[in-house]
Amino acid sequence: MPNPLSNFTSLKEKELLELDRTCGWSLNALELAEVQRQFRKMGRQPSRGELETIAQTWSEHCKHKTFSGPVSFKSGGKVKKYKNLFKETIVKATKTLNKKWCLSVFTDNAGIVEFGKSGKWGLAFKAETHNHPCAVEPYGGAETGVGGVIRDILGVGLGAKPVLNTDNFCFGYLDSKKKLPKNSHSPERIMRGVVEGVRDYGNRIGIPTASGGLYFDDGYLLNPLVYVGCAGLIPVDKIEKKVIAGDLIVSIGGRTGRDGIHGATFSSANIDEETSASAVQIGHAVNEKKTLDVLMRARDLNLYNAVTDCGAGGFSSAIGELGSETGARVRLEDAQLKDTRIEPWEIWVSESQERMILSVPKGKLKKLEAILKAESCDYCVLGTFPGDGRLLVTHGEEKVVDLPMAFLHGGVPNFEKKASRRKVKIHDGAPLPPAKTCGGILKEMLAHPNVCSRHSVITQYDHEVQGGTVIKPLQGKYGDGPGDATVIWPQAATLDLNDFSGFAVTHGFNPAAGKIDPYQMALHTVDEAVRNLLCVGAEISRTAILDNFCAASPRDPEVMGDLVLAAEGCHDAAMAYGAPFISGKDSFYNQAKDADGKEYPIPMSLLISATAPVEDIRKAITMNFKEAGNPLYLAGISRRGLGGSVYGDMMVAGNNYIAPLDMKAAVAMYTALLKTIKSGCVAAAHDVSQGGLAVTLAEMAFSGGFGAEIDLSAAAREKGLSALELLFGESPSRLVLEVVKGKEAEFLKLVKGQPVSEIGYVYEEPVLELRDGGERLFKEDLAALKTCWKRDLI
Amino acid sequence: MIIEIWTKEKYARNEEDAFIARLAHAGLKAKGARLSRLYRVDADFSRETFSKIASELLTDNITEHCSLTPGKAGLKKAYRVEVWLKDSVTDVVGESVKEAVADVAGKMPAAVRFGRAYYVACDSETKLRSAVSKTLVNEVVNKFKIEKC
Amino acid sequence: MKPKAIILRGTATNCDIETFNSFKYVGAEPELVHINQLLSGEKKVLDYSLMAFPGGFSYGDDISAGKIYAVKMSRLAADFEAFIKDKRPVIGICNGFQILVKTGFLPENRGNAQVSTLYTNDCGHFLAKWTKLKINKKSPCIFTKGLPDEIELPIAHGEGKFIVEDKKIMADLVARELHAVTYSENPNGSMLDIAGITNSAGTCFGLMPHPERNFFAWQNPDRPAAAGEAEAAGYQFFKNAVDYVG
Repeated sequence: MPNPLSNFTSLKEKELLELDRTCGWSLNALELAEVQRQFRKMGRQPSRGELETIAQTWSEHCKHKTFSGPVSFKSGGKVKKYKNLFKETIVKATKTLNKKWCLSVFTDNAGIVEFGKSGKWGLAFKAETHNHPCAVEPYGGAETGVGGVIRDILGVGLGAKPVLNTDNFCFGYLDSKKKLPKNSHSPERIMRGVVEGVRDYGNRIGIPTASGGLYFDDGYLLNPLVYVGCAGLIPVDKIEKKVIAGDLIVSIGGRTGRDGIHGATFSSANIDEETSASAVQIGHAVNEKKTLDVLMRARDLNLYNAVTDCGAGGFSSAIGELGSETGARVRLEDAQLKDTRIEPWEIWVSESQERMILSVPKGKLKKLEAILKAESCDYCVLGTFPGDGRLLVTHGEEKVVDLPMAFLHGGVPNFEKKASRRKVKIHDGAPLPPAKTCGGILKEMLAHPNVCSRHSVITQYDHEVQGGTVIKPLQGKYGDGPGDATVIWPQAATLDLNDFSGFAVTHGFNPAAGKIDPYQMALHTVDEAVRNLLCVGAEISRTAILDNFCAASPRDPEVMGDLVLAAEGCHDAAMAYGAPFISGKDSFYNQAKDADGKEYPIPMSLLISATAPVEDIRKAITMNFKEAGNPLYLAGISRRGLGGSVYGDMMVAGNNYIAPLDMKAAVAMYTALLKTIKSGCVAAAHDVSQGGLAVTLAEMAFSGGFGAEIDLSAAAREKGLSALELLFGESPSRLVLEVVKGKEAEFLKLVKGQPVSEIGYVYEEPVLELRDGGERLFKEDLAALKTCWKRDLI
Repeated sequence: MIIEIWTKEKYARNEEDAFIARLAHAGLKAKGARLSRLYRVDADFSRETFSKIASELLTDNITEHCSLTPGKAGLKKAYRVEVWLKDSVTDVVGESVKEAVADVAGKMPAAVRFGRAYYVACDSETKLRSAVSKTLVNEVVNKFKIEKC
Repeated sequence: MKPKAIILRGTATNCDIETFNSFKYVGAEPELVHINQLLSGEKKVLDYSLMAFPGGFSYGDDISAGKIYAVKMSRLAADFEAFIKDKRPVIGICNGFQILVKTGFLPENRGNAQVSTLYTNDCGHFLAKWTKLKINKKSPCIFTKGLPDEIELPIAHGEGKFIVEDKKIMADLVARELHAVTYSENPNGSMLDIAGITNSAGTCFGLMPHPERNFFAWQNPDRPAAAGEAEAAGYQFFKNAVDYVG
């Protein structure tokens, strides 16, 4: 290529943007102008490597320009200005709550909270997305997505041992009839690739994939979403890390090749036909397992001072990050390569997977090398952290990068984004009378892709490796009941079989509600996560949450408006539930052009991942009915509105109202309910979410092989609630509890004053019958209901 | 040298049926199919060494047999589809096998690449090509060729 | 004196730590040893009284499950043969069973040739679920002594279909009751529903299901509201090994 960099500083804006497009940097005009300004100041032209480094470091992916930038939000004639949206909502809640059991938040690769009673351990948790690569190459994208989030846990503090993988996917409906543009994969193809990629990577690396979700909506037809999470244990004295001037830069794990050049900048661009093979990263789980094994051994022998993972931007980001204060002196000719046909700047920004960078004191190198050889793990010594604040990268005689670290990490100009409230018409009247019987609706509901069994996906994942998955995603008498939260007893990390401390993990997700009311959606989503944790008996007063936002283009003020409202909802929910955010990520530009050339954006998609401690994992409970004769109770007030519900998606409901959530009442009720679970009064608990109360009861029944006779007459409800809304509405903060026969008095004493009503009994006969006010709503055989529900999705 | 590994017919039924079903889903009616794995070993080994690598390392002698030349599928009117990763794409299985080959042959080969061959008895090469690109390969990372047996 | 147990690992052996914990709990002194340490002579298998091949995805299951590990072990064949001949207990779990089959140590045969294989599941992919298993009371297997007629253990494998080509070998295996564990409901197409086999001494045993994952009552998917005894079926396998050398 003729060297346009020889007169970079004198290029006009149009030429700059053209250059940016050719090189795939995804920088905007303001940023390019800033780069020009800096180099004019330095009195020289930039090298390819320097522009690549800047592009990678400043990319959307690494610095979260949109979320951490200024926003001007117009709503109902008023304008609210934010200097940094993320800081003033999500982070603000955490800072205000100031929980002392949060050990590290928003600074490192993952958030860390206290774990267990010994005071020895921290629990690190991280979730992120890997959307664009999965749209292009579903299998490879999913593999490297999993690999990437695991590396975040390996690179937090001085390294945490991963004990759980989570995965949440969003796809278009598999039987969608919409016409797809030429180069798009079908949703079935994408789903198959993603599920198999997560399976093959997670299973090989020996981390149980045991918590997650699957969601279908045609909004994701062209842009699937793949959220991957990982949790790990870290000794509290290994949380601090600090690069000491003089330390060696050591890369361990895989070799460097041309795979994945421009992954980070690619994730900001929209996908089109010319997306080339080099943008696809290739994963190799076995390499990452070797790296994990080396890290755990070397960490406990104190052989390094700091570690981080090579993710977006490869060496350039990892070494740039670690060396942000000391500077870094890198000799690329010392890198271990997969492929010799690679340019020096490509070595520097390649996103070849499974590499970690360690900061190693010279005297410890020999011991580290012994461990690397013992585990057959590749490595190379790339240079040193000198202490002069300068980033100097060379390849033999060639200077690839020579920049002050301050410029790289400081100068990211940000322009204000416009946001406005999306107008949505709300229909608040009584829902249209259903065309079917309640029994018929229930059967269709159970078979709906957003409600039915996920066993065909879950059983492809090893969710038991490490022997610590004590409350599983598939529970109950037949090992196939849908769990609300997963509980991990990390014996393979603590090596202590006498310590029964554990932690629970779950998720909340409701984009359907977000289409109608993003603020309420955020509240509902946090509520969903907390009540899922409650269902297994976790300590919800110590809930920690992660936010992961996926949205379309931030250039659309309504998309920004959704983001602002959801972020404010996150803040308010965190405050109300006392649940601080400890980590978060975002992914924008999830949209593509459809077959008619029109922009096809995804709905605002906020995933809340939550974790809470479980004091004694032996006392955690599952959701299936346990014993005939046990009384059943419904906790929570059933409210009006079918907005955001599966029913509303399945039928013509004529009502899209979403009831506002009373968080204070929810917290009070959950606190009382937790006492009942901890005191042993409760045999089973399951929350009301997708599909509504009828689905909750059906799932508890067929997962335990017991029927129930239910009379909802006493159930607490809003005035004017229709039977339809009572059975299939998804108003939040509701659970069904099976109380141990003989312990009702104790149970009722603990929930006095709360909206908890008796609704029936567990029955030996495998039939589910529901009545309300003398009217029978349905009576169905469990076998028939389960057949509808237990279908193969894939 | 390309080594081809076959599953013995009596054990291959499930895999073949699932494959034919996938092609059907992509619009191609196939009357029969045979599948094999391919290992391309780039090294100046003797034929004897290649034979040893094939039978001792790459083949499971209970359920499989191997061939040092592209074998006959035993299918009439069949097309042969050969799929590999593009040369610019890292082949992690190939790299893993490369080290195992070095263990058995006593010398490290220059490279090992892993691929697959699908023998499909059907009427239309065009329909086959379309089904292959829809369901078997991702043209971002794979290269493939189709030829008549 | 606690009996020393060697827990063998290699690249991507994943179930080693919980297997280690299990042996520790029943009173052995387990040690994690990488195959590289055996190949370099740093450690010797004959220094141990118990041996375990834990589950996992050694070397990615590339080529076929357990094959690459088996090829690496071939250089140390004499030591492993001596260990087994000496009737020191050996247990191979899942990937461990696949390794024992690929090395030819199971099913027992004079030349230690590979006479069986664990092939791709009939469903064509990895499968993780809890299964009911029948214990063969007539089997000489020392690991299954004292277990009830039927137990529950989870499986998690992609290549678990047990195949023996030679009818004579299979007939002999059955006649000598070496099929110590069978599936009540065959999940992968294994011949004769076989889930685990032993040698004639009963001391070298391989099985696809994971006993270390149903070691304690709270690891079961159907949790009773009030837990009874702490230890579950899986515990017995490990206890038996330690009692045998005790």
